[in-house]
Amino acid sequence: MALRAVRSLAILSNPLRTYSTSGPLVNVSINEKTGIATATLQRPPVNSLNLELLTELCTTLEQLEKNKSRGLILTSSSNTVFSAGLDIYEMYKPNMDRYKQFWTTLQQTWINLYGSSYPTVAVVNGHAPAGGCLLALSCEYRIMLNNFTIGLNETKLGMIAPTWFAASMRNAIGTRQTELALITGNLFTTDEALKIGLVDEVVQSKNEALEKAGKFFDKFKRIPPHARTMTKTSLRGADIQALVKSRNEEMNKLTAFINDPKLQEAIGMYLESLKQKQNK
Amino acid sequence: MAFRTARNLAYFSNYIRNYSTNGPLVNVTVNEKSGFATATLQRPSVNSLNLELLTEISHTLQQLEKNKCRGLILTSASNKVFSAGLDLFELHKPNADKIKQMWSTLQEVWIKLYGSSYPTVAVVNGHAPAGGCMLALSCEYRVMLNNFIIGLNEAQIGFSAPMWLIDGMRNTIGSRQAEFALTAGTLFKTEEALKIGLVDEVAQSKEEAIEKAEKFLNKFAKIPPHARSMTKAALRGANIQALVRNKDEEVRSYVDFVTDSQFQDSLGEFIELNLKQKLSK
Repeated sequence: MALRAVRSLAILSNPLRTYSTSGPLVNVSINEKTGIATATLQRPPVNSLNLELLTELCTTLEQLEKNKSRGLILTSSSNTVFSAGLDIYEMYKPNMDRYKQFWTTLQQTWINLYGSSYPTVAVVNGHAPAGGCLLALSCEYRIMLNNFTIGLNETKLGMIAPTWFAASMRNAIGTRQTELALITGNLFTTDEALKIGLVDEVVQSKNEALEKAGKFFDKFKRIPPHARTMTKTSLRGADIQALVKSRNEEMNKLTAFINDPKLQEAIGMYLESLKQKQNK
Repeated sequence: MAFRTARNLAYFSNYIRNYSTNGPLVNVTVNEKSGFATATLQRPSVNSLNLELLTEISHTLQQLEKNKCRGLILTSASNKVFSAGLDLFELHKPNADKIKQMWSTLQEVWIKLYGSSYPTVAVVNGHAPAGGCMLALSCEYRVMLNNFIIGLNEAQIGFSAPMWLIDGMRNTIGSRQAEFALTAGTLFKTEEALKIGLVDEVAQSKEEAIEKAEKFLNKFAKIPPHARSMTKAALRGANIQALVRNKDEEVRSYVDFVTDSQFQDSLGEFIELNLKQKLSK
């Protein structure tokens, strides 16, 4: 904060200043003119969500809330993947203490993002399966680049997406489409996603996406923030309360389920097949 | 089952096996290659849901669940009507015990079909008002032939659809459309039904519809069935639990409603005006 004050004094004449906090895994820059923050996921190679990345993201969201951010753009430093979803290694022969932390942090990240007081835009500049789709869905608006895929494909991997994943999707595309998408574990192409409202706009480049994100934030220029936030809370509150009430029960179920030998075997086989693909 | 074994032995070389259990009112064939079952409603003249038909449907669904069916196509033997809904003649001047059994079995059918672990497709090859629409709605996917009508028109005969059915409609076409459709008792033409998402695809013939149904069922070929059915249960569970909790109370409530003179009068009028004429033609 002291640094920010000094910088502000030093370059008072130049309004277009951004400053950044680069965590290793989430780069945060704030445009001082607009007050809009951009959080860029940068965990090579595919932004898979492990405990460390989720912790940084969760903390970032809390900081933005505390500093009364005027808005957040969530995006990726990769140009092929937005986020590949939950890191499978967190679920393979896990240390139970770490697993519990991992899942708690995931739940909290969603609560912070889905329930943020400030407006949020996902600039989906790469593939977004499973947990990647969840992050995008948690934002208020989604702008996606062409020629990628997005969806909650957990069923294809023999997994069941938690109810709050489904709630996020339902909030965007409605009950019927959510059911169809989840039971088939569908990954939608950009165009298909636009058609059913899973994403809101399609662009050709990341720059175009950032421009359109700016336009979305502009809509709130004349809206009293307090009223905006209370409205969002009214609409999303039930979904969030449902998780808050059941988060311990969910944790207990998952910790019991994760060590199932059949599930561990399936995960092991999946990891093996990934290694073989990489070796080719 | 003994009969099946004998046939198996006899036709062992025939890879694509169809065998059927012919209940009088529901014909079930299972394609042994694909594992998909087709249940065809065949109660003349319009597959109206009386106690016998509902019981056979319920029994069929139970068997399919027990035999770990890989997928169900629900359709009609008629080429004009999918199902005309609850048998209004049985509701007219009824025996209270029989209504009780009918309603109870109707609830069972919803619980088993809406809550089936296996994927389901309705091939709506004829008109589907009221209870017919209910059967279609309880499936995961609907393929409808052109030039028919479908909808929850209970209000037209002075009836109010039960909560689980209202929710089922809301979950399919959204709150706004459901409110409008239910309060007006709207019957949608095929194209309109497609437009609002009440049906998913339109086909020109039953063959085409079955093809589209199988295409939907084949989407699950590579999906672990356990994950699929648990995902479906998580999404549909609340609706089913709400019904299960209130089952007996709802039966009592509907028996009272149906046996009440106000409903009996309006039903009697409806039958006089709409049904007796058609039957005498």
